[in-house]
Amino acid sequence: MEYAIELKGISKSFGPVAANKNINLSLAKGEILALLGENGSGKTTLMNMLSGIYMPDSGSIFIEGKKVEINSPEDSGKLGIGMVHQHFKLVEKFTALENIRIGIRNEGRFFHGADVRKKIEDTAAKFGFDIDLDKKVANMAVSEKQTLEILKVLCYGAKIIILDEPTAVLTVQEIDRLFAVLRKMREDGHSIIIITHKLNEVMAISDRVAILRHGEYIDTVVTKETDEKTLTELMVGRKISLNIDRPIMEKTHPLLEIRDLTVKNDEGAIAIDHINFYIRGGEMLGVAGIAGSGQKELCEAIAGLRKIEEGQMIHEGESIVGMSPKKILEHGISMSFIPEDRLGMGLAPSLSITDNMILKNYNEAKGIFVDRKSARVEAQKVIDRLEVITPSTETPVRRLSGGNVQKVLLGREIKSGPNVLVTAYPVRGLDINSSYTIYNILNEEKKKGVGILFVGEDLDVMLELCDKIMVICHGKLQGVVNSNHTTKEEIGLMMTGTINIVNKDGKTDGIAKDSAFTDEEGKA
Amino acid sequence: MRKYHLVRRADAQLKRTLIYYAIGILVSLTIGAIILAALGINPFEYYGRMFSIGLIGNRYGYKSIEGLLKIFVPLLITSLALSLSFKMRFWNIGGEGEFLIGAIAASIVAFNCSGLPNFVTVLLMCLAAMISSGIIGIAVAALKVKFNTNETLMTLMLNYIMLYVIRYLGETKADWNFFLEEESERPIFGTFPESAFMGGIPIGPFKLLWSVIFAILLTGIVYVYLKYTKQGYEISVVGDSSATAKYAGMSVGKIVLRTMFISSALIGLAAALTVSSAGTISDTITNDVGWTGIIVAWLSKLSIPAVFVTSILISILQYGCQAAATQYPAIDINYADLLQGLILFSVLVADFAANFRIVRKEDAKNA
Amino acid sequence: MLDVFTLFLFNIIVYNIPLLYGTTGEIMIEKSGSLNLGVEGTMAIGAVVGYLAGAKTDSLLVACVVSFIASGLVGALFSFLTVTLQANQNVTGLTITTFGVAFYYFIGNALSNSAGGWPKLNGTAFDLQSQPIHIPFISDIPFVGKAIFSHGILVYVGILIAVLMWFYFNKTVPGLKLRAIGENPAAADSLGVNVTLYKYTHIVIGSGIMGLGGLYMGLNLGGAFEGSNCWINGYGWISIALVIFANWSPAKALLGTLIFGFFNTLRVQNAALAYAFPDALGWLTKIPSHFFSALPFIITLIVLIISSLTSKGRSGEPQAIGRNYYREDR
Repeated sequence: MEYAIELKGISKSFGPVAANKNINLSLAKGEILALLGENGSGKTTLMNMLSGIYMPDSGSIFIEGKKVEINSPEDSGKLGIGMVHQHFKLVEKFTALENIRIGIRNEGRFFHGADVRKKIEDTAAKFGFDIDLDKKVANMAVSEKQTLEILKVLCYGAKIIILDEPTAVLTVQEIDRLFAVLRKMREDGHSIIIITHKLNEVMAISDRVAILRHGEYIDTVVTKETDEKTLTELMVGRKISLNIDRPIMEKTHPLLEIRDLTVKNDEGAIAIDHINFYIRGGEMLGVAGIAGSGQKELCEAIAGLRKIEEGQMIHEGESIVGMSPKKILEHGISMSFIPEDRLGMGLAPSLSITDNMILKNYNEAKGIFVDRKSARVEAQKVIDRLEVITPSTETPVRRLSGGNVQKVLLGREIKSGPNVLVTAYPVRGLDINSSYTIYNILNEEKKKGVGILFVGEDLDVMLELCDKIMVICHGKLQGVVNSNHTTKEEIGLMMTGTINIVNKDGKTDGIAKDSAFTDEEGKA
Repeated sequence: MRKYHLVRRADAQLKRTLIYYAIGILVSLTIGAIILAALGINPFEYYGRMFSIGLIGNRYGYKSIEGLLKIFVPLLITSLALSLSFKMRFWNIGGEGEFLIGAIAASIVAFNCSGLPNFVTVLLMCLAAMISSGIIGIAVAALKVKFNTNETLMTLMLNYIMLYVIRYLGETKADWNFFLEEESERPIFGTFPESAFMGGIPIGPFKLLWSVIFAILLTGIVYVYLKYTKQGYEISVVGDSSATAKYAGMSVGKIVLRTMFISSALIGLAAALTVSSAGTISDTITNDVGWTGIIVAWLSKLSIPAVFVTSILISILQYGCQAAATQYPAIDINYADLLQGLILFSVLVADFAANFRIVRKEDAKNA
Repeated sequence: MLDVFTLFLFNIIVYNIPLLYGTTGEIMIEKSGSLNLGVEGTMAIGAVVGYLAGAKTDSLLVACVVSFIASGLVGALFSFLTVTLQANQNVTGLTITTFGVAFYYFIGNALSNSAGGWPKLNGTAFDLQSQPIHIPFISDIPFVGKAIFSHGILVYVGILIAVLMWFYFNKTVPGLKLRAIGENPAAADSLGVNVTLYKYTHIVIGSGIMGLGGLYMGLNLGGAFEGSNCWINGYGWISIALVIFANWSPAKALLGTLIFGFFNTLRVQNAALAYAFPDALGWLTKIPSHFFSALPFIITLIVLIISSLTSKGRSGEPQAIGRNYYREDR
């Protein structure tokens, strides 16, 4: 049987990090294949090679049985591959029609032809797209924009369509409409890859499911012959023993309590939905969840960088809702978030390590001058303690390689002596040794009685490092479990929204027995 | 060309950058020399005359120094001011307009406060100029911060509006117009009363104006401000990444407003010092310093020590051309602008070479 | 009586068509995503080089072609610096203006002081070709005929350019792609549009158009070179202002030119008008001429501020303007 796409032995590394290791994948003609995997499993990298953004280090790509080389997005387009990215590439001021027109291969055409419009309308009608071609993109809802992107790709003659997390921005009804369209496309002979981590959707729409884990290809199963539990197990795999220390401390009363927290994201959708949790001193609480479940918004809300819609946040008996980031820092809560590009938040790239050290407390120095002398000492301490590789304390941060940037960031957060430390993805992109250094630092803080909120990606690490783990899926709390009494599978099932154990056995997760809230306050 | 690919260098070493700059400047001087030769002038002689600013064989050599300093002081201060603004990525190209407002404000004081002692008058002139220019700076910054109005276009418009204001003042004979020379039939700007003239330290026949000393001190002050004070630190953070600044709890809007006030006030100060040294005002009082200042700030990559050096060099270039014009009437002062333009173009190319590398596409594929 | 108005309308068009050239040229450049502050310098170079070529060959056509090429080359320089070398657009544009105007004076002075002197315009064929033309019948229509239909050829070329440009932006495929680049170059790039080629081409063409406007100004002023006043005299800067006023539309640019031209001509002719109609318009002479000169800038400043207060106002401004595009920065 001829496959639409065959990937054989594809590998791709970025520096020391292997994003894809020897992947074999196949997409049959006229099928919908779901590509499943956690963050860091290598899904996006793989698809980016099909769309011409990256080139594989080794391995071959076959399109309809022929070996090909895809060197650019143009090549990809010419081969009939069309990718619908998560971040739309649309011109806001143009109409839908104009946006499609930009990319149509018009063979040196100078004037717009009526036949082009007709062709677009026919294509839209064929697949049941309900789209107003003369509507400006700026006036479109998110689902309409996505429809436009799909239509665009079809109009450019794509026979193979790749969709990257398409349902992340859609409502339930819109998802149904999308799936109807996808089925129509399949009937018409198109082959579709849908990248997703929502198991219910995988079950609903796909013919087969391919699973990636940690950059490796695991298996492809027929959807009809599997179920969500099996898929989850394939996705998270067996637990790996890492030998990370977990000191057991005597825990204090809850230092930080969160009740009913509701936060919106930049696009205005609900990112965190009525969450309850608390952190005790001397305790490490992990936060597990698929990327985009609201972790970023949660961290920002606690740090005072994002307005909250509803809910309460109490730290040391005082409500911190509405406090400025500076005040929250003074209160004793410190937050560090490592975004995907690792330089984004919290550091000024062109400034030296020393200058970045004093970012949060430069104002404390007496007089009008900045105190760089003690900052330099602090910087050197951080460099020594966390083994940061740098020519000097005055090196601009953007010249530091990879993980060293994170070390500086974490070092700075710890330096301010908080009693609640919120750290998100602190070991992103770090090699093993550096990661262990970070774990040790965190454990030392824990031993001092600091309460730590650890947002992470690697379940194996969290199961060993954290005392408890809370799982969020689409902004909702799915459960809080004790690391000793749970399994990787259970967490995986919560992450994908398959199970919810918040009110298991009559007790409610996320609410402390010795909470500072009274019963009435707590119910808010 | 398809095989090659441009890649940003990981770090731009200072030494490499300086060498490329030097090459670029040499290239522009060479092109300038070719132009001179084409007009039948010996480039070496001309350059010699230009760079020695007419000091050689000149009995009144000190006058050359005075002339040079008259160009240098406003240029230095304006360039410092613009560096502050550019550090925050606030593209203030309204140097000309802010200068004129300051000049007018200072002149109002000069013409109306003839009874006061010299020091007080000059001080008041400076204050008046700094406040008026500063207010304009804040207004523009406020619109940018609040409504994201394009500051480049706004300040550009202001330049022209102020130019016509000063021309109006200079060409309208009327009873209320104290700016003009009373006795003259035709409208011309009057001379300031004695009390408004900039004083100085006499060194032989040469008078070292206070404004020169002050400008040099100001350079030091601005340098310390940017490098060592909390406010200077805030400016560097905001200019680097306003998101990080917010994260650090800084009030970005306030910092922008404050810095713009200082920047514009400094330009006003430059204007006050200029009119006081000149003893009068005119519609060409800016000597295009608002534009040249941008080039100086850019050439210096916003580094204060470099601004100081570059201001000196450009002043020599401009004044030297003026001085050389006496012996080479065929070459007018526009030649200095030409050279300036050539230098800037070559520095832009040099800057690029220092920041980017050409790699073969095969190697870039795996980037 | 009617003659005063006729002359007034005639002058509005004659003296302000250069604004149309400058504005449409700059619109084309800004639509590609670049803010070019070098209009004044580009027009100066186009003017002086074109004029000299025309005077030498005694042909308006040659003057126009050379002018276009010369200013086009300036545009190529701007493109090279900002698109390929990724230099700051503001600084580059300003340098081009300083350099261009200096070049104008330099060449002018050099020639004026040379043996041959500055080539004169009067009486040459070159001159005649650019003079107001007489279209049989149409030019004789009272008032309108004289005011609108008896201009030099460059006036009609300017209007034609504006119309063609409007058509190009809104009705053609390359025009659409160009607009896409000005709004979202990353999107256009991902769809296979050659961003670099489009930017270069349109910056060069836009600069060429500006240059023609400069040439026209020179011819209008009788081709005489004055050492103290550049032919362009700030019209380049006004053109930049007009682009905003016209909301980046060549059609509105035509309208904007007329409106600004109205005030500009009012400045020059207010005395004549007040003399002809002392009761109704006598007050015109009381307004200082500087106010009229400053009016374009005052109006544009107000338009700028108001349009940023309401989001609708800046609907024409290309979203990606002023920022250099570098694919790897994606």
